[in-house]
Amino acid sequence: MGGPGALGWGEPPDATTLFDDPIRRRGVPIPTASTALGSKTAGSGRLEVRGLSKSFGSVQAVSDLSFTVEPGSVTGFLGPNGAGKTTTLRMVLGLMHPDAGTATFDGTPYAHLPAPLRTVGAVLETAFHPARSGRNHLRVYCRAAGFPLSRADEVLVQVGLAEAGKRRAGGYSLGMRQRLALATALLGDPAVLVLDEPANGLDPEGIQWLRGFLRHLAHDQGRTILVSSHLLSEVEQTVDRVVIVGAGRLVREGSMEQLRSGADGAGTVLVRSPEIARLAEVLTSGGSSVSQADGALTVTGSTPAEVGHRAFTAGIELHELRPHTSGLEEIYFQLTSGREQFAAPPAGTPVAPEATR
Amino acid sequence: MIRLVRAEWTKLFTTKVWIGLLLGACVLVGGFAALLTGFAGNADSGIPPVGTEGFEEIALAQATNATVLALILGIIGMTQEYRHRTATPTFLAEPRRWRVVVAKIIAYALAAVPFALVALAVNVLVVSVYAGARGAAPSLTGHNLEVLSSSGLALVIYALIGVGIGALLRNQVGAIVGGLVYLFVVEPVIRSIPATSGAYKWMPGGALEAMTATFQGPDLLGAWEGGLLLVGYGLLAALLGTLLAVRRDVV
Repeated sequence: MGGPGALGWGEPPDATTLFDDPIRRRGVPIPTASTALGSKTAGSGRLEVRGLSKSFGSVQAVSDLSFTVEPGSVTGFLGPNGAGKTTTLRMVLGLMHPDAGTATFDGTPYAHLPAPLRTVGAVLETAFHPARSGRNHLRVYCRAAGFPLSRADEVLVQVGLAEAGKRRAGGYSLGMRQRLALATALLGDPAVLVLDEPANGLDPEGIQWLRGFLRHLAHDQGRTILVSSHLLSEVEQTVDRVVIVGAGRLVREGSMEQLRSGADGAGTVLVRSPEIARLAEVLTSGGSSVSQADGALTVTGSTPAEVGHRAFTAGIELHELRPHTSGLEEIYFQLTSGREQFAAPPAGTPVAPEATR
Repeated sequence: MIRLVRAEWTKLFTTKVWIGLLLGACVLVGGFAALLTGFAGNADSGIPPVGTEGFEEIALAQATNATVLALILGIIGMTQEYRHRTATPTFLAEPRRWRVVVAKIIAYALAAVPFALVALAVNVLVVSVYAGARGAAPSLTGHNLEVLSSSGLALVIYALIGVGIGALLRNQVGAIVGGLVYLFVVEPVIRSIPATSGAYKWMPGGALEAMTATFQGPDLLGAWEGGLLLVGYGLLAALLGTLLAVRRDVV
């Protein structure tokens, strides 16, 4: 990384059109490759987490957690509340000291990155001084990282906050705060984005926008994105890979295809029949577990071919037989249900506040 | 480091806290200066009459009343990061946290210079006009100038101590209340009890008094020693605060 000259800092060539373009002003993703920070080399930014552990008093928040986030993809970091997601992300970003283990970006821990904001952008929580305007909030971090102040206006446009930038952040709606937090993360035009529950407080339109935005940042611009969520349906349409954690431990890591395919024992088959009771009996006796709802059977631990074969041999008429491309949510519950350590404690159980962070 | 210092100034001047503190300092300093001049020479008040060296020494040291506001300026500068959770983006921008605390100390010490100059200007203005009307405006030479400059320096040092205390305690309300209780309750009590008054000269308040040498003081250090002791307290608080800021988790 050279001096300011080498980075081509200054007004972007299209600075005059930037604010007049109605599409951009609405927050439709725009390529950031030619921002005031200069062009960046995509393709780098592998995040490796190895053996991270952290306890708060007697609560083990994260235990020997290892996973990898590949460049150019959106990785979902999933788990119920209190699974240790935020604690993990805070350790990854050098804000918390792990008891054991490492987290590195292309081999370098966050605290040793020469220009951290240019390498990693993070959305951890919506943290602003309420009396400071969104634009001034961004300018503070432009100053701290040595970016030109024009970056503040650029990222405001990028997240669709250009018009609200001069208002006090304390008056922002939850969705606007999330956008401002995202803008803060984008200041350094980073290769890696780490987002903790970024969809919290966004309306359906905002979530839709966020999905497209994240996909664009990852697929078109080759950035590495790690996005945590406890609402699986929220990220299901966005992520390419998932890392599922429960009680601070890794439950499953892999691509969405891997996870959805029955090979993991997580696939289900949906079948309809006029003789539904008899079909259920046949399948259950064959060792499959079956649940009935709305006149259809959901068969776990089987494949459509197997279910069809059983029905045929038993002479049962079928009206529908298809692999249930089960939602991530179902897969997630299958992976974590019945395993007490992953279950949320019953209501009223005191939980150490740190453990849920 | 200059980037971080400028970031701190951006933080400071993009909220209105500094305006309130500056106005408060003007009112406080102007008010005390006026009261003092008004009661100068009054037999019951014990204040020397206008025109004497004793009066001028006290009257021109009234900017030290704003030390409490300089302290609060420093405390808010540090603790707002924890209160509004901006410590997270701040430490993300500079993961070497000690540099953030050092930048704050530099930024607030430098920001306290114009703050102190305004307080001094109000002090001089009020005393010059009022005492002038009552007979003799103090000259801004020699010893009077020394009194003024040491008062101003005290304000700067208290802002620095404030940053250190803020880094140490993190809780904004707790740090401010604690600071006020210490300055207005703990130290005066220690100062007035004979058994403990010997220790007073080694405390921040005693060091401040030594620097600005007000009348009928107890046993005190020399002015320079007092100033150094005060700087020492500021740096000690900042050092402890830095060590804690580096070691603590940011949640």
